Amino acid sequence: MNNWLKWTAPAAAIVSAAAPAYALQYMSVEEAQKAAFPGASFAEVQTGRVWKASNGGYFYYDHVVGKHLLIDYTVAIGPDGRVHRVDILNYRESYGGEVHDPNWLGQFVGKGSQSELRINSDIRNISGATLSSTHLTEGVKKVLTYHASHFR
Amino acid sequence: MPATSASIRRARALLGTFVEIDVADRPGGDAESAVDTAFAAVADVHRLMSFHDAESDVSRLNLMASRGAVTVHPWTYAVLEMALDMAHHSNGAFDIGVAGVRRPLAGQSSPGFDSIELLADHRVRFGDPGVKIDLGGIAKGFAVDCAIDALRSCGVRSAMVNAGGDLATFGGGARLVHIRDPRSPDRLLCQVAVSDGALASSARRFDPFRSAETTATAVVDPSTRLPAHAALGATVRAPTCMVADALTKIIMIAPQSALSQLARYGASALLVAPNGDILRTADWQGDLQHAA
Repeated sequence: MNNWLKWTAPAAAIVSAAAPAYALQYMSVEEAQKAAFPGASFAEVQTGRVWKASNGGYFYYDHVVGKHLLIDYTVAIGPDGRVHRVDILNYRESYGGEVHDPNWLGQFVGKGSQSELRINSDIRNISGATLSSTHLTEGVKKVLTYHASHFR
Repeated sequence: MPATSASIRRARALLGTFVEIDVADRPGGDAESAVDTAFAAVADVHRLMSFHDAESDVSRLNLMASRGAVTVHPWTYAVLEMALDMAHHSNGAFDIGVAGVRRPLAGQSSPGFDSIELLADHRVRFGDPGVKIDLGGIAKGFAVDCAIDALRSCGVRSAMVNAGGDLATFGGGARLVHIRDPRSPDRLLCQVAVSDGALASSARRFDPFRSAETTATAVVDPSTRLPAHAALGATVRAPTCMVADALTKIIMIAPQSALSQLARYGASALLVAPNGDILRTADWQGDLQHAA
């Protein structure tokens, strides 16, 4: 094996295929709550957004949305006010405007990790350019700032 | 393979990217706790090998190893051993030791991997005060391998760990992986079936949160300290993810000399040349994506 070989394929195949929408669901809010504070009960403080856990911790549901990417995530904050756990619930990447389309996004509401996925379910794993997670880190920081000014 | 009730898929932000763990078969047990254990292993690697964290082994070495031997975690030592092996055999195309110098001076050799001494009992010493290491080109792959080991020792029979495209899998048959087109990462170049092995890619940076366009590559050519430009992107299949990860960097910097390294580690590869040609090693197996 001493040479790179040109990958010859049918001419049409050299044009790469569009990846219009790539969506993955990992957990439901309930599953994330259970994983963060097992055995605790959760009282809603702000509808669908903030819960107080029976162990003294807090639980936030939030999302970061950018040009072609939307991520739903949860932040569990321990009784000590520090981040206990961060989970990603949904990851949706798209290039046709779907990320800002309420109908497309509506398909994900209330779905748990065991739900059947009907959108591009053939694309399950991707390799290539490494995605930055900076925006999610910034989102978690914003949640912490909000928490410090409202619930501490 | 039939789905079992102990089949879960989880994602977290670690190593500066998204790390995903997919457990397909954890018979009769707690898949959730196996996944937690594996994420903890990834977080440990991050903590030990981060260039920016002042408490990491990497930062301690950069601060103190030129003044005397520093003891590091066995994992850090193992990564350093592999990194130096890669450096020696690639004639420095892969060099973890050049993080301290912005630009080499003309006609002057600057310190690099050959000043790094690995001593007994996981101790490390730098022979030159100018040496600074950065394990960014290899630690992500190692973290994937550690997560895989953790899942196996928890009794998981089939799983995949994918750290921003550097991935490894075991058990349960082949899993299909789509490769982004490095020329246009909102498109797919090809698909590869991976089973009981690893796959890693390098390309230009990309953040769909901000744009569908790429920015400059994170891979730096040690001889110029400039972004590598010998390839637009490279994907390597290898027995371990650490090896696959490091080999993608060698291809991005020196594609011709990378060939002997690929053969040495039992790896195959695909690269997209600057002119857009798709090149592969003779043993590469995959399917080019058919245009939609």
